[in-house]
Amino acid sequence: MRVDVEDLVLRYGTVTALDRMSFGLEGGKIYGLLGRNGSGKTSLLSLLGAFRKQTSGQVRVGGSPVFENPAVTPEICLVRESGECTDLGSAEDAFYFAEWLRPNWDGDYARSLLDLFGIDPKTNVKSMSKGQRSAMGVVVGLASRAPLTMFDESYLGMDAPARQAFYDAVLADYMAHPRTIILSTHLIEEVSGLFEEVLIIDGGKLLLHEESTTLLSRGHAVTGPVGRVEAFTSGLTVLGEKTLGPTRSAMVYGELDDERRRAAAATGLDLGPIAMQELFIHLTGGPR
Amino acid sequence: MRFPSRLLAATTVIFLASWAAFTVVLVAVTLAVHFFGDLTHSAWEAAATVPRWYMVINGAMLIHSFLPLYIAHGQTRRQFGAQAAVAALVFVPLVSVAMTLGYLLESGLYALLDRPQVLRQSHLFTEPSQVHLVLLEYVVEYLACFAAGMFMGAGFYRWSAGGLLTIPFGVGLIVLGLSAAGSDFSLPLSSFALGLDLPRGPGFAALTAVVAFSVGLALTWGVIRDVPLRNKV
Repeated sequence: MRVDVEDLVLRYGTVTALDRMSFGLEGGKIYGLLGRNGSGKTSLLSLLGAFRKQTSGQVRVGGSPVFENPAVTPEICLVRESGECTDLGSAEDAFYFAEWLRPNWDGDYARSLLDLFGIDPKTNVKSMSKGQRSAMGVVVGLASRAPLTMFDESYLGMDAPARQAFYDAVLADYMAHPRTIILSTHLIEEVSGLFEEVLIIDGGKLLLHEESTTLLSRGHAVTGPVGRVEAFTSGLTVLGEKTLGPTRSAMVYGELDDERRRAAAATGLDLGPIAMQELFIHLTGGPR
Repeated sequence: MRFPSRLLAATTVIFLASWAAFTVVLVAVTLAVHFFGDLTHSAWEAAATVPRWYMVINGAMLIHSFLPLYIAHGQTRRQFGAQAAVAALVFVPLVSVAMTLGYLLESGLYALLDRPQVLRQSHLFTEPSQVHLVLLEYVVEYLACFAAGMFMGAGFYRWSAGGLLTIPFGVGLIVLGLSAAGSDFSLPLSSFALGLDLPRGPGFAALTAVVAFSVGLALTWGVIRDVPLRNKV
């Protein structure tokens, strides 16, 4: 399901959370929404999910405005840590309403996910551990089979094995039931393998929107003898470096043309990819 | 619009359990007073404040718990508002029937105990056996209480502590409904009472209930029509 945002502004009193943001997302892809704390990720997703009304600008899903549009909102599912879909009695109670309100709800799949995450359907959600509550949100989000499904850091409370199970489930269900999925996260390295495209926002503005492979192609790890690495990276944007004895590995940002690549090969330097997280840190201005 | 069957089912199940508990406690209190004290008046009438507060809280919880659920599941605020209104219009008579049944159960109990079921307060009815008037009085009271609860619940959901400003309007709706039924608004464990001197009669009471409920719904809609969902973690 296609998403279009145009000149989107959201203000909380005097604070501008989103500042004239515009972008378009094709349907049927997995998107990563990255940004630092307070960058506007949750605000943006809240507008896409019709959880709140924008101050100005347009939000369109499937070509139609979202807020209070009953033709569109059932096609959207936004899962947050706050547990709007789940904090109502037991897991079974949550499913009772999801089944009734969600047009594409898959109850069998939901129960299989409960098994996967080891959740007793009769347990009161509010009495569950943080990880289990996060998993409940994930279950409802995936089983809703909404054409636009968004997870706003809703899996951060889960432990590492449960998160891996979630990533596997997202990918498997996406392959079986293609739809538009947006994952907002701080665990960039864990999830980046799922992203087909990445949006990075900072200070309420869109900093970058491009394919993951394009973004990753902008960063390189240059490894080799210290002197040669220093010489090669002179004049390039160096994001960081590590030295072990006579060997240094430097992370550089920017396109490397064929001439540079040939020069690296000729001097015995190894060129490799760097992590998306390093690029994210660089693009959002480094430590503050 | 779909009939809010599951919304009603959820609230009704909780109500029936609460009503059963309330009835058991009142029967126990009645028997205790009968055997160890002096049972002179209707206990069901004396405890009338409890179900009124229950209805206020239920109205508030309907907004607080179910509005976020509905929106998060892709329903609009308008769809929720319509379903909440229909649910209230079914739930209030259902509760009223159960409460009327309570009076009849008490009549049977008092007959068994050979005690007169004397009423202390003014009502639309003079005897608990006037079932249609007992039912009407409950409907009038509870419609006002439920609508007031919805409005105040919406206010607290939207503005947190700022919701305190909705309380005078909510209390006003409750006072209107109770006064039309011949009763006063009172606080638990307190002698405080607030009432209006309104004309008495079933017709006027029914009309007042319709007005109070409509005003309460309109006020609630004014608050929730573009309410943002809270992001509480």
